[in-house]
Amino acid sequence: MTDLLAARAQMGTSLAFHIIFSVLGVGLPLLLCVAEGFALRNKDAVLMALTRRWTKAFAVLFAIGAVSGTVISFELGLLWPTYTKYSGAIIGIPFALEGFAFFLEAIFLGLYLYGWNRLTPRVHWLCSFPVWISGAASAWFIVSANSWMNTPTGFEIHNGQVTNINPFQAMLNPSTPYETTHMILACYVVTGFAVAAVYAVAMLRGKRGEYYRRGLLLGMAMGAIAIPLQIFSGDLNARFLVDAQPAKLAAMEGVIHTERGAPLRIGGLVDPTTGEVKYALEIPNGLSILAKGDPNATIKGLDSMPRDDWPNVALVHPSFDGMVGSGFYMLFIGLVFWVVYFWRKRVVPENRVLLWGVVLTGPLSFLALELGWMVTELGRQPWVIYNFLRTKDAVTTAPGLNYSFLGFSALYVVLAVTLIILLLRLAREPLPKMEWSEVNQEQMSEAEEKGGEK
Amino acid sequence: MILTYTVLGVLWLALIAYAALGGADFGGGIWDLLATGPLAERQRRLVGQALGPVWETNHVWLIFLIVGLFVAFPLAFSVLSTALFLPFTLALIGIVLRGSAFTFRAYAAQAVGTRKVWGRVFSSASTITPFLLGTCAAAVASGEIHVVGGSVQTLIWTGWTTPFALTIGAVALALCATLAAIYLTIEARAINDTELTEAFRLRAIVAGAITAVLGALGILLSPFEAPLLWNGMLAHAIPVVILTMLVGLGAAASLLRRRYRLARVLVVIETGCFFAAWGVSQLPYLIPPHVTVENSVSPAITLEEFLICVAAGMILLLPSLWFLFHVFKGRNPVPLIEEK
Ligand code: HDD
Ligand code: HEM
Ligand code: HEM
Repeated sequence: MTDLLAARAQMGTSLAFHIIFSVLGVGLPLLLCVAEGFALRNKDAVLMALTRRWTKAFAVLFAIGAVSGTVISFELGLLWPTYTKYSGAIIGIPFALEGFAFFLEAIFLGLYLYGWNRLTPRVHWLCSFPVWISGAASAWFIVSANSWMNTPTGFEIHNGQVTNINPFQAMLNPSTPYETTHMILACYVVTGFAVAAVYAVAMLRGKRGEYYRRGLLLGMAMGAIAIPLQIFSGDLNARFLVDAQPAKLAAMEGVIHTERGAPLRIGGLVDPTTGEVKYALEIPNGLSILAKGDPNATIKGLDSMPRDDWPNVALVHPSFDGMVGSGFYMLFIGLVFWVVYFWRKRVVPENRVLLWGVVLTGPLSFLALELGWMVTELGRQPWVIYNFLRTKDAVTTAPGLNYSFLGFSALYVVLAVTLIILLLRLAREPLPKMEWSEVNQEQMSEAEEKGGEK
Repeated sequence: MILTYTVLGVLWLALIAYAALGGADFGGGIWDLLATGPLAERQRRLVGQALGPVWETNHVWLIFLIVGLFVAFPLAFSVLSTALFLPFTLALIGIVLRGSAFTFRAYAAQAVGTRKVWGRVFSSASTITPFLLGTCAAAVASGEIHVVGGSVQTLIWTGWTTPFALTIGAVALALCATLAAIYLTIEARAINDTELTEAFRLRAIVAGAITAVLGALGILLSPFEAPLLWNGMLAHAIPVVILTMLVGLGAAASLLRRRYRLARVLVVIETGCFFAAWGVSQLPYLIPPHVTVENSVSPAITLEEFLICVAAGMILLLPSLWFLFHVFKGRNPVPLIEEK
């Protein structure tokens, strides 16, 4: 691999790995907060048991999120020193604010995880608020930095010198409201459907009982509330791109030649040399309507831009369709689930086909998340800072990038495997008897004891 | 000027906080590695209990430091990352392994095998990482990182593999071990384990002595291997160096007299003085001999907004930190509910 490719691969792998934990880091605390709140109010043993289980899983996930995030913050310098040199003064501020959000998240998480036996139940519950609030805040800050890379503002360039810097304006660049909203919603979509999928699997394996049903319901509630909002916000993102990043939009939709009354192409293989999209399902005038609200509107194709500035259409287009497709699938399952639930007077559906459908939302939600990032990041290529700095000019001169990429990839594999084994083992631990006193006795004292090897 | 040095001061304080808090967490891992004999199991357990609630918070000081450097001294961040690519990458792997191994071990309830393996990973990574970070610090201080015409001119082994750097790496290791041992005496006393308290007291004294000897060796090497640092120290840091030594002696004396809380305060001050001495000796360089504070600093507006954010952040952070440490580490930590 060339150094540039190795660096991109390492950055992409690290982010793709980290994002899995960060969305759960944003979403799970909210779920914990809701579940514990209801558990305390109604002295509900089942909800309390769920809360405690999720807390343990969350503790492990959070730690991996924290260390993988640390890798990324170093990698900004290790892999892209030129990028850091120019961008630090402009867009460093949200990173610094994110640091404070991490502080608060880590502090209250420490209290939450290890404080079951030291804090009163009410104070313990209150500690979950700063965790989910700062989780969402950290997502907002970091994504505002990413938005800036897409629509850089807050500085000027005169004779090769960066001048007139305005960091707050950079943080509040035009893309920020769209991207941050879409990302934070994604956290709740993914967490909701992932949790629902876990309990759907359990029910398919013959586990019944309030514990599993409640788990499923809570997950589906979160997912189903978030997914319509997510799709709505995604549509706004796409419309915003029409003017802000025409190359990205064209790549997403597979538009090679500028067209009037452009069709919406779903799926298909893009051949960038001929400009043909083979095997796609075409909805006449669809794209023009979606993007500009006018069936005859003109959509800029990639051929209106220099060949050097094209992103990789063959990857961006299917990624985009994959995200949208997964999104609509989740919407569908969410709708069916809740319609059946209320139709049958609040009985949790146990139909096998529907449960299988729910299981599938879990992996698909993560897939949509990763694909969405592929759209954003690959769609921005060849620029790291859109229209200002090319990725190839930002890469480090340090040697050995191939080894570094291999090393980190291997590390992620080891971590992922161990983590999965641990979580499965956690899921298999016997449940406590579902009584208020029993559940509260299943102390977190194992965690309190922690440490030691025996 | 004032603005620049205020921001630099904030970052240096963050460095000290990371050393005194995060460093002690690494030190805990070192003692986990060195635990032998009949007390070993209890020692490991104490280390685990001490780190559990706080290590993630302590770790954030490192993040804060990195992003602070990125905001305020982007050139320095960029130069460091390029020149020290290899040791930083290795330290990063150490950081990842330390954190994940600690968590895996703590939550691998019944699986004894898994616990053992990840326990070893935790303790070895905790030992290697501070050593590497120490060598990086020495590489900076030694003035071997050359930047010509905007590009870094060092080879991959330059600076951090010299005798001086290895000595400073060892100092970092010994300092972490000392900090941890002192904090652990208090943790052990809080659970009324006299045997462990005494064990860590002894370890603290030994580790402290080793730190002092290695530190002296580092100073002796510096005229040859880090001349800029040495001259800077002679010119304007002698008082701080003397203060560091005196406070260190004070910490040792309070350990001897079993005044553990006093020893904890003093060793934190000593760590602060130690880093202050380094910083003051290096001024006006950030990365000698080419990167200075003035030629790598961000424009004033960035610094101003950074300070506004830091001030706003601290208003939330400081009370929260206080609460965390009050609940788990205070003079009267909040007791377990059953005991109330
Ligand atoms: C659960 C995940 C998920 C789901 C179901 C969707 N998205 Fe998405 N999408 C993301 C998760 C995501 C993401 C990973 O979170 C991204 C990457 C960057 C960002 O801000 O959000 C993203 C980016 C992203 C972008 C690029 C924004 C940019 O680069 O500026 C567009 C245009 C859309 N999405 C549009 C949609 C549409 C029309 C959807 C309709 C179904 C949709 N997304 C569903
Ligand atoms: C908000 C935070 C993010 C920031 C600041 C960010 C920043 C960057 C930077 C600096 C690069 C290297 C330069 C480049 O290739 O353009 C990069 C590449 C990349 N990122 Fe992101 N990124 C973010 C989020 C993500 C996430 C969550 C993913 C998850 C999948 C992701 C996927 C990638 C990929 C695949 C690449 C390589 C793309 C390529 O070079 O072709 N990014 N990102
Ligand atoms: C360039 C991109 C990114 C960088 C540099 C980065 C950096 C970091 C760092 C350093 C941590 C560890 C904090 C700690 O010790 O507590 C972390 C954790 C976290 N990051 Fe990222 N991150 C990036 C992308 C993202 C994105 C896109 C999200 C969006 C949701 C995100 C959300 C989080 C969250 C919620 C945590 C807390 C850990 C957890 O809950 O599991 N990060 N990140």
